[in-house]
Amino acid sequence: MRLPHSTRRCVAAVIAAVAACLVVGAAAQAPTSRTADKPYTPPRTPWGDPDLQGVFGNDNEYATPLERPAEFNGKTLSDITADEMAKIRATAQQRMLAALPGGRVRGPDEWWTQNLDLSKRSQPWLIIDPADGKIPPLTPEAQKRANTVRGSFVRQTFDGPEDFSMLDRCISRSIPGSMIPVMYNNIYEFVQAPGLVAITYEIIHEARVIPLDGRPHVAGSVREHMGDPRGHWEGNTLVVETTNFTAAAAYRGANAATFRVTERFTPVSADVIAWTATLNDPTTWTKPWTIAMPLRRERQPTMAYDCHEGNYGLRNILSAQRAAEKDKKE
Amino acid sequence: MTKMFAVGLAILAGVAGVSAHHSFAAEYDSNKPVNVSGTVMNVEWTNPHIHFWVDVKSADGAIVHWRFEGYPPNMLVRQGWKKDATLKPGDTITVTGWQARLEPTLGAAREITFADGRKMAAGPPAGTGGQ
Repeated sequence: MRLPHSTRRCVAAVIAAVAACLVVGAAAQAPTSRTADKPYTPPRTPWGDPDLQGVFGNDNEYATPLERPAEFNGKTLSDITADEMAKIRATAQQRMLAALPGGRVRGPDEWWTQNLDLSKRSQPWLIIDPADGKIPPLTPEAQKRANTVRGSFVRQTFDGPEDFSMLDRCISRSIPGSMIPVMYNNIYEFVQAPGLVAITYEIIHEARVIPLDGRPHVAGSVREHMGDPRGHWEGNTLVVETTNFTAAAAYRGANAATFRVTERFTPVSADVIAWTATLNDPTTWTKPWTIAMPLRRERQPTMAYDCHEGNYGLRNILSAQRAAEKDKKE
Repeated sequence: MTKMFAVGLAILAGVAGVSAHHSFAAEYDSNKPVNVSGTVMNVEWTNPHIHFWVDVKSADGAIVHWRFEGYPPNMLVRQGWKKDATLKPGDTITVTGWQARLEPTLGAAREITFADGRKMAAGPPAGTGGQ
């Protein structure tokens, strides 16, 4: 991680605190989990690496705000009381239920409350560093950059495929986007081999193959939507540094040339991996920032999501726009 | 309906990422509810969403060809659907959902009622972005 020592210490302390919280939270829900005073030791692969393999998910973290909501101004994550967290969970669940027909669960909708259960949300917001839960200010250079945010959720008009997001177009959710839950497909499979970790993401069905052998990143001229990952172990934590993103896939308008994501996957119980991602781009944000959430073991396999095979949505939206323009002229 | 849509947007406004594959509001109109009955003509069990075609007899006796979009196959399987079994050509069904912004016979399916009275969720609530 290319961070000053002081920042590294701070991030490490916050991550440790969050991991401890996750253990406690998991302990309340999973009888097999252990408590923070007895660090979890994961099993080992036959070749001696910590064994993170399996299918994990984070449906419960759906719709968690990225930044600290205004109602918690002046507070840090550690200030949030158990009562406040209980209220946050209840409110999130109530909002989701209110969106169901008639504001109640019936028949097949019960699936949602079991699998997109916001009452098990782990945190009130995702940013654990800086402590104020806010994305650090943009650099002057980043402020001058054109706003390139695209997508069906943020635009009102569409002139061509380029006006849609990478997800709309079934291309990629990149990193850390692939790990931020949407309404479905929030499950991930970890597979290990000597010198390699592979992670598949159900949505878009992307796969990352992460070398652990210390090889350097590929040349700067090589760009990938999911970036170029390199991993290593720090104790039982898998640390993955990803660079070489494409400009189109760099998170929140970051400069692909200088954007680096550092992820940490720490097994904190048999069924929970604490995941953090530190987003560092000195040409975009005035300092690095870190998001976190737990990944919980799933009892179901990942499934295919070959997004391209019937993506009529783009065509329908574009044809609707052209028809609306024609109606206006006539 | 408008209230339901607003709730969906309120949820979306605060989230870290988008809600699902593409925006409901960009393609469909939550103020145009649909409730039609007819015969299933075709089912495309495809990602990112299934599509199915329903022939509906209008008041004047003409056949109107409706096309509906629903959840992705993996979501339907997890909710109990089976490919080529749960919904198949020849089935008589009633579909509720919402109409596309402009195309009059395109809809976002929410729920299907089968001839025997069974109800299955076919798509997300309006405004939750789950298309």
